[in-house]
Amino acid sequence: MAERTTPGQDTNGQGNGSPPEEFFAEWRNAAYNCFSSGHKFCREVCPVMQVTRDERYTPTAFHANVVAMEKGHLSLEDVADDYTFCTMCGACELRCPNTLFTGDFYRFRQRTIDIVRAVRTLAVKAGIHQPAWKRWADLTDRWGNEPVLGWNTETSATKVRAWAAGLGLPTGGETVLFADCEAAFKRPSVPRSVALLLQAGGIEFGLMNQQWCCGGPMWETGYEDVALKMAEHNLIDWRKTGTKRIICPDPHDYITIVERYPEIDESFDEFEIVLALDIVAELIRDGRLKLTTPVERTVTYHDPCRLNKRLGKWQAPREILRAIPGLTFVDVDRVTQWSYCSGAGSNLFVEQPELTAEISRRRIGKVKELEGVETLVSACPWSERPLTEQGKEQGLEVSDIFELVAEAAGFEV
Amino acid sequence: MAIATLPDSVVDELVEICGEDRVFTGATALFNRARVPAPFAIHSWESHTPQAVVLPTSAEQISEVVKLANRHRVPVVPRAGGTGLTDGAVPLRHGILVDVKLMNGIHEIDVVDRTVTVGPGINMLKLNEVLRPHGFMYPDDPASYPCSLVGGRIGTNGWSLIGSRFGHVKHLVISMQVVLPTGEIITVGHGGGRKNRSSSSGYQLKELFMGHQGTLGIVTEATLELVKRPELEFSAFWTYTKYEDAWKATGELARSGYATIAGVVLFDEEKIAYLRRDDEAYIPQPESAKAVVALAMYGNADEVRPGAKESMRIGKASGGVYMGDEISHADWAARHDRYATPLHGRIRKTGQVVPMSWHCEDAAILYSKLPEVRERWHRIADTIIEKYGIYDDWGMFAYTSGPYKPWGDYLAEIDIGIWEQELNEENWEGYVWAKREIARVAIESGGSISACHGSCRVGEVDLVPQELGGAYEVMKTIKRALDPNNIMNPGKYLLDDAYEED
Repeated sequence: MAERTTPGQDTNGQGNGSPPEEFFAEWRNAAYNCFSSGHKFCREVCPVMQVTRDERYTPTAFHANVVAMEKGHLSLEDVADDYTFCTMCGACELRCPNTLFTGDFYRFRQRTIDIVRAVRTLAVKAGIHQPAWKRWADLTDRWGNEPVLGWNTETSATKVRAWAAGLGLPTGGETVLFADCEAAFKRPSVPRSVALLLQAGGIEFGLMNQQWCCGGPMWETGYEDVALKMAEHNLIDWRKTGTKRIICPDPHDYITIVERYPEIDESFDEFEIVLALDIVAELIRDGRLKLTTPVERTVTYHDPCRLNKRLGKWQAPREILRAIPGLTFVDVDRVTQWSYCSGAGSNLFVEQPELTAEISRRRIGKVKELEGVETLVSACPWSERPLTEQGKEQGLEVSDIFELVAEAAGFEV
Repeated sequence: MAIATLPDSVVDELVEICGEDRVFTGATALFNRARVPAPFAIHSWESHTPQAVVLPTSAEQISEVVKLANRHRVPVVPRAGGTGLTDGAVPLRHGILVDVKLMNGIHEIDVVDRTVTVGPGINMLKLNEVLRPHGFMYPDDPASYPCSLVGGRIGTNGWSLIGSRFGHVKHLVISMQVVLPTGEIITVGHGGGRKNRSSSSGYQLKELFMGHQGTLGIVTEATLELVKRPELEFSAFWTYTKYEDAWKATGELARSGYATIAGVVLFDEEKIAYLRRDDEAYIPQPESAKAVVALAMYGNADEVRPGAKESMRIGKASGGVYMGDEISHADWAARHDRYATPLHGRIRKTGQVVPMSWHCEDAAILYSKLPEVRERWHRIADTIIEKYGIYDDWGMFAYTSGPYKPWGDYLAEIDIGIWEQELNEENWEGYVWAKREIARVAIESGGSISACHGSCRVGEVDLVPQELGGAYEVMKTIKRALDPNNIMNPGKYLLDDAYEED
C-alpha cells in the first residue's frame, strides 16, 4: 500500500502520541549520537534493509525518529509501523562506528535493539497495536505459550511437555531443560534430541512443573505486561521445585532469561542459565558423549543472530559439527554471517511474513552458492521455521544441530 | 506546521509509474530522506523534506518520473546512499525524491575485458563480496566504503583512498546510462559499447555527468573497472616530532616513483591530539610525536617489496620513527571506521564531552601550499570555537590525490566537530562563515574548494563562481540547455541564476 499523507493529519507533530519526557531523557543523547554520525554503516548488514532498501527501516532512521519526535516533527503514531521492520539481530550494533571504535572508552554502545523495543513498548502503551502481534500476545497471555501452531490450535501449558513422552523425565530438580514454545510444539525433535543427548551424557535433569513462554517475544514486540506475567510465573515455578540450573536449547530463551530476568528479579543470581550447545560441546569434548554413527553429509552452519551477533557465541556449534564422524563441514565465518539472518527474529514473521520469507530465501541462496552443500544446520528453532520452508522451495535440507548430533549418537528421533 | 504535500493527482501518476508499494508520502519516509551525515540545519528540518519518495526499479520508470516532474514543474532530487558531505541528496525545494537503492543489481561480470556492470544502488563493499571469488575487486575505496552507493559516488565525483594506485571514480567508471533532466535515457562513455575505455569521437561528455550533485540527471546503470586483487599490501606508519619534517617525508615518498603507491597520508598535530582522546594506537605514542605519515602500497609481491624497502629507508632518513607492524597494519585497515566519532566531541573551555556531528571540509591543495593552508584553516576553526563554544577542531589529514601518480595536489581535510543539538540561527551563521573562509583559503592558494565531496553546501557554494571563473558561465549554459525547466535538484550550485534572464 502506498501511504498517503492527509495534510495536517499525520505529519510534523500533528499525529497522535508524543513520547513522555522520561523516554527522551533516556534516549536523547543515544539517538543523537547516531543522528550526528549518520554514516549508515549499519545499512548494508541489516537483513531488513538488504531486502527493502527503504530508508525508513534503517537503524539510522530508528534513531533519527527519536530526534524528530522530540522536535515535534513526528508522532508515535507516525513512526510505530516502521519499528516493526527489525529482527533485533544486532548486526547494526556490531557495525556501528560509535560502538566499534570509541564505545569501550566512553562506556557507550549504540543500542538499536533497545531503542526499537522502547518505541514498540511505548506504542503498545499508547494503544497503537500491530494487529498480528496483538493477537499473538493475547493468545500467549491466554494459553501460556505462543500460538506457534496457528491461531486456532491451542498451545496450552498442559501440553508443553508432550514432546518428552516416554523419556521418563522427572518434574523439577536442580536442573531443568527449558524447551521454548516453537521447539516444544512445532519442532519437538529438537528438545527430544537435546534430552536424549543430555541423558546419554549422564546429565540429570527434569522439566518444569508448568512451563510458560520465556516472555522474550512479548518484550520484543512491546507487550511488556504479558512478558512480565510469563517471566514471573517461570521464576516462581523454578523456585517451587528447587531448581538452580536452567538449560536452554533455544538462543531466544537464553538471551531473554540472561538479559531480562535479572532486571525484574533481585535474587536472580541464584540461577545458572546454560546454553545446551555449550553442554553438548563439553560432553563431546570430555568423551562423555560418544558420536559413533557416521553422518555422511556435507553441511554448512547458520549462525543464529542472538548467539553470534548479540552474544559472541559461535565456537561451540563449530566444535560440535567438526566432531561428527562422516560429516563434511563447509564453514562460513561468523563475521561474514553478520549480514545473514533468517528473518524470524522478534516475531517479524508474524507481522511481516513476506519479508521474513524473502530474508530466508536469500539466506538459503547463500548456501546454494557453496559447492556440494546438502544441508543447512542451524541452532535456533525459530530460524528453522522460515529456513525450512524456503529450503523446500530451493531443494535444500534444513536441520537443527541437535537433531544431527542425536543421529551421530545413534538415536532415532 | 504540516509539511508540504503534492496534489493527489500527481501522487496517483507516480503510483501509476512506480507501483503502489514504491511511492511514499508518509511523514517518516520524508523526514528520513531530508539529510545526509554532514552537519544539518536541524533547526529547519522541515524545510528540507521531499513531498514524495519513489523507489523505482528501472531507468524507464525514472524517465517517466522525470517527464512527469517536467509536466508539473515539480523538483526531482536523486538520492543513493545519502552519505554525501555536501548535501547533494538534500532537497532544497521539496519535490519528488528518487531513491535508487532498489536498483542494486549486478548485471554482468566480464572477466575477460575486466568490467562489471551494476545498478546505481549497489554498495562497493557488497559488490566486492561478490567479486572476491573471481579474484577481482572494484577499487573505489572512500571513507564511506561500507555505506555509500555507486550512484552517489558518480553524482559527487568521488575520491578513493587508494586512488593514486587505481584511480578515482571518474577513472573507474567506464560508461554509464543516464536519465537526462528532460527524461531521455542516454549512454555516455567512450565509443559505442559500454566497455570501451577510450575514444576521440565527439565531445568528451562522461565527466559532465559526474559530480553534478544530481543537477544534470540520474545515473541508472554504470559499467566499472575490475582490477585484480593485489597479491600484497604493504602499509607503514611513522611518527615525527615536527609537522614540517612529516610534510617533507610525505612529499618524498609520493615522488619516489613507485607505481605501487596507493596513498600517502599526513596527519597533523591537531589530528594526533584528537586521536589521542581515546585511541589505543595513539595514546601510547610519546608526547614528542606531533605528526604521522602513513603509506600504503598494493600490487604483485615482486613489485611491492622493493618499493617497501626503499620507503622504509626514506621514512627513517627523514627523521620518522616507525610505529611498528601492528599499528601499521591495523590502523590502515581501520581507517574506514575511524573517520568520525561523535563521542569525541569536546567543549574547549571546559573539556566537557558532548556528542558532536562531524564536518569534513575537503579541498584540493598543492603539496607546496599545505603548510600555509594548514595554519590558516586552524585559525578559522579557532575563531568559531572561541566565539560560539559549540565547535571543536579535530585536526587535519592530507592525502595524495593524483591518479596513478601521487604527486601534485593533495586532498586536504580539516575536521570540525559541531554540537548540533545546540544549533540556532546565530551559531549556524558562524559555521557558514567558517565554511566560506575555509573555501576562500583553498581558492587563494590556487586549489579547489573540494577534491571529492563537491561544493554545493551553504557557505562554500558562494565561492564556486569565483573558483570556476568563466567556466561557471558555461556551466549555467549547459544546465539551462539540458534542464530547461530547472527541475533537477534545483537550488544546488546557485544554478537558479542560470534561469534569471528568462
